[in-house]
Amino acid sequence: MSNEHYEMDPTPGEKLKAIFKQRDVQIATAWGVLVTFIFFIIGGWIYPSWMPTALSTDMKAIERLIVIFTWISAPICGIVLGFSIYTFMHRHKGDTPPADGPAIRSNPLVVGLWVIISSALCLVAVVYGLIEMNSATAATAENKTSALVVEVTGSQWVWSFNYPEQGFSSHELMLPVNRPVEFRITSVDVNHSFWPVQLGVKVDANRLQTTVVDTTPNKIGELEVKCAELCGLYHTYMETTGEVMSKADFDNWVTTQGGHTA
Amino acid sequence: MSGTPSSISGTKRVASAVVGVLLSVAVVGVVGLTLHAVSKDPHKKLYATKESETIVVDGKTYPKANITMGVYADKEQASEDGYEGQKNDWVQYGPSNHIVLPANTYVTMTIHGYDGGESLNSPFFGKVIGTIGNVVNIDGQDVSELGMEEVQHTFTIHSLPSSDRDPLFINVPLKKVLEDDNGWVPTEDPVTNFKGHTMTFSFLTKGAGEYVWNCQFPCGDGTYAKFGAAMSAYGYMSGKVTVA
Amino acid sequence: MTTLDQHASVRPIPNPAKSLITKLNMGTGIIVGVIFAAATYFGLKDEDMLSMQQNSKVLLATMFMWSIGFMVGIGAFIGPVRWLIGKDLTDEEQLYLAGDGQGIKRYFKYCTDHKVVGIQYLVGVMTLLGVGGTMAMMIRTNLIQPGSQFVNPAVYNSLVGLHGITMIIAMIIVATGPFGNYIMPIMIGAADMAFPRLNALSWWVLFTAIPVLCSAWFLGGIPTGWTAYAPLSVQAGPGMNAFIATIIIFAVSTAVAGANITATVVAMRAKGMKWNRVPIFVIGATISVALAIPAFPTFMLSMIMTGLDRSFATTFFDANLGGSGWLYAHLFWIMGHPEVYVILIPGVAVLMEIAPVFVRKPLFSYNAAIAGFAGIAGLSILVWAHHMYISGWMPMLNGPFMVTTEMISVPTGLIFLVILGTLWRGRPWMKLPMLGVYAFLWNMLIGGITGLYLSDVPADNYLHGSMYVTAHFHYTLMGAALTGALAGLAYWFPKMTGRMLNERAGYISFWLTQIGFQILFLGMFIAGAEGQPRRVADYSVNFATSDLISTIGAYTIGLGMIILLWAVIHSWRHGKIAPMNPWGAKTLEWTVPYPVPLVNFDTPPVVTSDPYGYGKASN
Repeated sequence: MSNEHYEMDPTPGEKLKAIFKQRDVQIATAWGVLVTFIFFIIGGWIYPSWMPTALSTDMKAIERLIVIFTWISAPICGIVLGFSIYTFMHRHKGDTPPADGPAIRSNPLVVGLWVIISSALCLVAVVYGLIEMNSATAATAENKTSALVVEVTGSQWVWSFNYPEQGFSSHELMLPVNRPVEFRITSVDVNHSFWPVQLGVKVDANRLQTTVVDTTPNKIGELEVKCAELCGLYHTYMETTGEVMSKADFDNWVTTQGGHTA
Repeated sequence: MSGTPSSISGTKRVASAVVGVLLSVAVVGVVGLTLHAVSKDPHKKLYATKESETIVVDGKTYPKANITMGVYADKEQASEDGYEGQKNDWVQYGPSNHIVLPANTYVTMTIHGYDGGESLNSPFFGKVIGTIGNVVNIDGQDVSELGMEEVQHTFTIHSLPSSDRDPLFINVPLKKVLEDDNGWVPTEDPVTNFKGHTMTFSFLTKGAGEYVWNCQFPCGDGTYAKFGAAMSAYGYMSGKVTVA
Repeated sequence: MTTLDQHASVRPIPNPAKSLITKLNMGTGIIVGVIFAAATYFGLKDEDMLSMQQNSKVLLATMFMWSIGFMVGIGAFIGPVRWLIGKDLTDEEQLYLAGDGQGIKRYFKYCTDHKVVGIQYLVGVMTLLGVGGTMAMMIRTNLIQPGSQFVNPAVYNSLVGLHGITMIIAMIIVATGPFGNYIMPIMIGAADMAFPRLNALSWWVLFTAIPVLCSAWFLGGIPTGWTAYAPLSVQAGPGMNAFIATIIIFAVSTAVAGANITATVVAMRAKGMKWNRVPIFVIGATISVALAIPAFPTFMLSMIMTGLDRSFATTFFDANLGGSGWLYAHLFWIMGHPEVYVILIPGVAVLMEIAPVFVRKPLFSYNAAIAGFAGIAGLSILVWAHHMYISGWMPMLNGPFMVTTEMISVPTGLIFLVILGTLWRGRPWMKLPMLGVYAFLWNMLIGGITGLYLSDVPADNYLHGSMYVTAHFHYTLMGAALTGALAGLAYWFPKMTGRMLNERAGYISFWLTQIGFQILFLGMFIAGAEGQPRRVADYSVNFATSDLISTIGAYTIGLGMIILLWAVIHSWRHGKIAPMNPWGAKTLEWTVPYPVPLVNFDTPPVVTSDPYGYGKASN
C-alpha cells in the first residue's frame, strides 16, 4: 500500500475518530447497524426454523454453529449493505454523466482496518469450526466402546443396514435413543453418500473402503435417510425411512426382524 | 447521450419485442414437450386384474388382484412371449415397465423369469422382503431367501420421496435358470426349448400413490459394477408402479 | 451492417485469388469434419459395437476426428504447413486472413482479427447460455411440484449434467471470450493479439466442441452431473463419450486462448503502459486465464483417464482392480476450485472497470484490487479438498483445508472494499452497467457468506450435497460473475456493435432477471436447509413450497433473459448509433472509432497515466 497520505498526519486513532465525525459516514454506519441488527435477528431463528428437528447431538451442534456463523457475518452484511444503500440513495439519473467526485485513490488506514477486521472475523470462524471438529473427535473416542454398530451398504439404488451385534439386516434404519451409534459405510458399486438427515452426519460410501462416522441420537423421532451423491438413474429414489426409538421399542423391532437382543 | 435515433418506430419495436419473446418461449416450450415425449414409457400401462373374491389378512378384509410379468434375456425371448420388446437388445422386463395396482388390495404377482445370471453384489437382495409371509413361491415351493449365486434378477419396489410416507418396500429375488435344471438349453431354437421359473408372491398395497420398481441384480453387462446399459437406461430393468 | 465496412472502401481489398485460403470457410470445415467423422466411424465400426468398450473407442475417435477434420477443412493447418515446407504465407494472404473488407463472411472464416474472434465468442457464449438456460427451465419444470414427473429420471439426470457443463463452459468464456478478445487488445493499445492465428484456433476449436456436447443428447445423455464422478462415469452409457470429448477439446481451446491472452498482456502493451497503469479488467482477465492454464489440464487428464477406463479397460478409477474414485475427485477438484475463480475474477474485473466510469471517481486502491485477485488466485489452488470433507478421504486433513478455504474470505473482502470505496462519495450514474455493480454487491455478499457455512466442516456435514450448495454457487457464478459479464455487455456493446443497447428493454430484463434470481435461489437455500439433496428428480412434500418458489423465480429469469436476447438482437440491427465514447470513459478502447480499424490505432498510443484520472483534486 502506498504511504503518501501518512506523512505528517495525526495518529491513526485520531484519524479514525475524524472519519466517524463525518456526516455521510455516520448515516452509512446507521444503515449498517440496522442491517446488522436485522441479519442478527434473522440468523437467530431463520435457519433453525428451516432445518428439520435435530435428533442427535451433532445436529444440534450444527444448528448452533450455523446460527453463530450468521451472527459473525451480520456485521459484514452491515458494512457492505450500509455503504451500498447510502451510495445508492445518492445516485445520479439522466442521460449525461454526473460531475466528477473526489479523487480518492486510496486510504491506507481504511484498507488496513478492513484487512484486520475481515481477518479477525475469519479467524473467529476458523477457530470456532476447529473447536467443534475437535469436540466431535473427542466424542468419537469416548463412544468407541459402547456404540451400537450399524453396517451401512449403499448399492444402486437402495440403502441396506446390517446390525452385526443383533445378527440381522433391514432396509430401514432404526436406532435406540441415547446410545452412541457407529455407522460403517461402504458401497458395492459407485459412490453414494449416506445422509440420515435428522442426525446431522453425512459420509460417502466408497467401493472397497469403509468410512466410519458416529453420533448419539438423543431424541425420539422419525428419520429420513437419503443419498447425497448422484449415483445414476434412480439416485432420486435411493432413500428410506427410519426412527429413533426407545430401548424397549428397539428391542421389540429387533426381535420382529429375526435378530437377537443382548 | 447523443447519437442518431433509431430508424424504427416505437410501435414496431414493441411488436418486434412481443413477437420475439413469444417466439423464444415457443422454442423453449417445444424443447420441453419434446423431452416430455421422449420421457414417456415405451409401452402401455399394465393393469392388474381385479378378482371378485376377498381375503382376510390380520383380521382385515382385502379385495384380490392379479398381475403377471416376464423378465427376458433379450428381445427375442420377449417376442416369443407375445410382447414387443424394447429398442435395444438387452435384458428387459415386459410387457410394460409401468404397472398399475389397485389401492388397499391383496395383489398377487406372477413373474416368469427366463434368464440366467452370475451373482448378486449384496446378499441383502437375496432375501424376500415385504411380501405376505416374506416368501416367494418358486415353481410351487415357498422360499424366503436365495443365495447370491442363485438369482437371475430381483423385483424391488420402493417408495418415491414424494409419496408422502406411505412406505412400500418389496424385494423379491427371482431364481435363475440353469442350463442343466429347468432345461434352458441355448440351442439354435433358444425360445421354444426352455421353460423358465415361475415366481409368485403377494403383498398388500396401501393408499393411492406412485412408486418405482427396479432390478437390483447387476445385469448391465460389460459396464462398471454391471449397473450400466440395461440397468441405467430407463424402462428396461426399471419402471413405475402406480397404486390407484 | 451498413456501417461495418466504411474503412474497407478506402483500402484495396486483399484478394490472393490463387490461394487455397480464399476457398475455405465454416462450410468446408463442416464438410471435411463430417467426412473425417464418418470415415472414422464406419472404418472402425464392427459387429462388436454392442460392447461398451468398442462403442466408446469408436465414438471417441469419431468425435476427435470431427474436430480435427473441421480444423483441416477451415484451413487451420495451412499456415503451419506452409511454414514447414518453407513457403510461408505471403503478406497479401496474411492480410486476407485478417478478414479486412470481407464483410459478414469473415465471421464464418478462419479469421485472425481479434475483433472478429471477439464477436464469434459473443455469439457462441449467447448460444451456450441459451441452450443451458433452456435446460434450466426443463429442470425447474420437472421440480415444480412433488411427483410431477415431467421427464423421466434418465432425461432428468442428463438435463442436470448437461445444464451444468454447458453453463460452466459458457461462464468460463463469458467475459474473457468476447471482451478479452475484442476489447482487451485495444484497451492495452495493441494492434492485435500476440498470436492472431492461435486466436482463431482457440475459437474454432471451441466451436467444434459445441456439436460434440450436443450429441450427448442423441447418445442417451449422461447420468453423472457435470462433475462426472468416477466410477459412475465409467459405468455410464455412450453419451458420456460426448462429455469426455467435449472437455478434452475445450481444454485445448482454453490452453491456447490462455497462453495467447497472457502473452498479449505481457508483451504488447502500449508505450508507457507500466504495470500500474494497466486497466483493472486486463489484470483480472490475465490472472483468470493464467489460473486456468495450470487448472484445466488436470480436468483434461481426468477425462483422458475416464476415457481410457471406458474404452481400454484401464482401471484408474475401479477400486475392484486397484484404482480409486478419490483419484478422480482430486483431479477434478484441483481443476474445479480454481475454475470457479477463473469464472468469477473476470466478471468482477469488468465491474471494477465500470464503477469508476459511472461514479466519476478513481478506482479505490488499485493495489488492493490486484492483491485481492492475486490472493484469491493463489489460495484457490490450495482449497480443492473442501469438496471432499465427507468423502472419507483423510478426515484429518479437513482442518487444514478448512483454514485455507476460510482464508479466501480476506482477499474476497478486498474486492468488496475496492468497489465500495469507489462508490463512496460519488454519485453513481444509474445506467445499465452500473446497476450490475449493485446487483453484484448483494449477490456476492450472499454467495460469499453462504460459502462460509459450507467451508466449515461440521456445517458442511449437513449442507454438503444439498440444494444449499446449488444455491450458493449459483449466487457466486450467476449472481456475481454473469451479472458482471452482462454489465460488461451493456458497457461495451456500443464499441462492439456501433450501436447503443436498448435501454428500456435492458432495464426490464435486468430487474426481471435479478428479482427472479433472488426468488429462485432463496427458495433453493430454504430447500437445502430443509434437507433436500441436489440433483434429485423428485422430492418429498415438505419441500413443495420452497421448490414452487424456485420454479416461479426460474421462469421469471427465463423471461428476463429472453428480453435481453431480444434487446441484443434488435439493438444490434436497429439500435441508436453510438458515439465514440458514450460513457465518457478514459480507457483506450474509447479512443478508437467504430468500426475499429484493422490495426486498431492509426498511430500507436502512448500512455502517461492509469485510466482512472477522474475527480477533483484530493481533499
